Amino acid sequence: MSALADTFAVARLEWRRMVVRPLSWMLAALTLAWLAWNFTLLLGGFLAGQVQRAALPDGPGFTDLVAVPLLGQLAQLSFLVVPLLGMSAIAGERRNGTLPLLFAAGLPASRIVPGKYLALLGWLMLWLALTLAMPLALAHATDLDWGKLASATLGLALMLAALAALGVACSAFAPHPAIAAAAALIIALALWSVNVGAQMAGISGGVLNWLAMSTHEQPMLRGLVSTADLAWFALLIAVALALAARRLDNERERG
Amino acid sequence: MTTSPTGAPAPILQLDRISRRRAGRAAVQQLSLSLRPGQVLGLLGVNGAGKSTTLSMIAGALRPDSGSIRLDGIDLREQPALTRTLLGWLPERAPLWSELTVAEHLTAHARLRGLNGAAQRTACTAVIDRLDLQPLTRRLAGVLSQGQRQRLGLACALVHRPALLVLDEPANALDPVQAAALRGLIREQAAAGTAVILSTHLLAEVTAVCDRVAILHDGCLRHDAAVQADDHPALERTFFQIAMHGDATARAA
Repeated sequence: MSALADTFAVARLEWRRMVVRPLSWMLAALTLAWLAWNFTLLLGGFLAGQVQRAALPDGPGFTDLVAVPLLGQLAQLSFLVVPLLGMSAIAGERRNGTLPLLFAAGLPASRIVPGKYLALLGWLMLWLALTLAMPLALAHATDLDWGKLASATLGLALMLAALAALGVACSAFAPHPAIAAAAALIIALALWSVNVGAQMAGISGGVLNWLAMSTHEQPMLRGLVSTADLAWFALLIAVALALAARRLDNERERG
Repeated sequence: MTTSPTGAPAPILQLDRISRRRAGRAAVQQLSLSLRPGQVLGLLGVNGAGKSTTLSMIAGALRPDSGSIRLDGIDLREQPALTRTLLGWLPERAPLWSELTVAEHLTAHARLRGLNGAAQRTACTAVIDRLDLQPLTRRLAGVLSQGQRQRLGLACALVHRPALLVLDEPANALDPVQAAALRGLIREQAAAGTAVILSTHLLAEVTAVCDRVAILHDGCLRHDAAVQADDHPALERTFFQIAMHGDATARAA
């Protein structure tokens, strides 16, 4: 069986486990309800200020005032949701005693980890799509800035992908799902705000600023896509998944 | 399956001086064994003797520190994916995904073992019928009784028709009727050419279904001999001598 088929077999199994787990549905329902409520508030604010903005030549539109802020709220929620969803990916299997079954199926860690990751990513992309459906439902009645919306969506998709990779990596290292979730949350928050001190000191460049996720995410939410930011996310995802695979390989070695 | 120059089937499994340390102690030391298609090997030993570690290594879930494991003549280190098609494993206490149904377990295992489409459906149906799992197919694994879990674990190990079946204390939690059915299943598998390794604490189980018995003590192989159906007292004597006094006393006996 090819590497791709193996990875998809693991992904399908993980996807199935995710969709029947009450936690996944509960998180989806609560967060989407919260986002829908906020969408109506943002929309109300947008409609209330429409007359004043009409006087401004280059005033902010529906995308700036409703769509992108909504995606920003999704980004905030993702710091909590992704670790909770990813915590069981590997730590749960380990605790359950089912991880050796995957090893015994002849699957190397380099296929187990991407399979788990793909399933989590699939769920998160669905979550993003459902959130995005809210502003898109009004696309016919408003003047959407498609370029900015696409950039913000790409930024958010990359952020979710990076957080998912961190979640899977923490799940590979942690002995218990709860520890994996806590570790993923702390690392993600640290990665987001590692440059806060530097910014307060007025330093806008440097390693800390480069290291911070916010440095690479915020330009995309504003509609600016750069290769350097895309590469940063790709690098983070690759490093996290490689560490997770290495940890699993070591586990098979060490027992 | 390959054949030796003499015409006898070549061993499906060969362990060559495998060793493994776990938790700072030698769990398995210099263990060598071989098994031919259709043979049923009983693996005995007290708790901590190294049975489960040995079976985990054979199943590919754990790598030996030294020595080699050959499946159908091929070293597992060179081709770890061999376990996928050739081997079925029922670990101790049958680990399952509690949120999946019985049918979903079988489908997932078949898919992980490379079966797709019609072949997958046929394999799942066959094993469901053989292990009388029809009434349970839609039930979640998390709500199964221990005996039902064990049967499902066995079905997962058998779904891809492996050439080598590795069973770690499969009779645990089975009632006498289910245990008898398990013995029938093992005999049936052996008659079809499947090699079986059966780790158990039940000596009667060994004399009832095994052709050979291997006794481990402190991670070392202390006894490897053929089993006769009426051999129960002799086997019991050997087992207790090894368990209590180790190799030398057992040999003296």
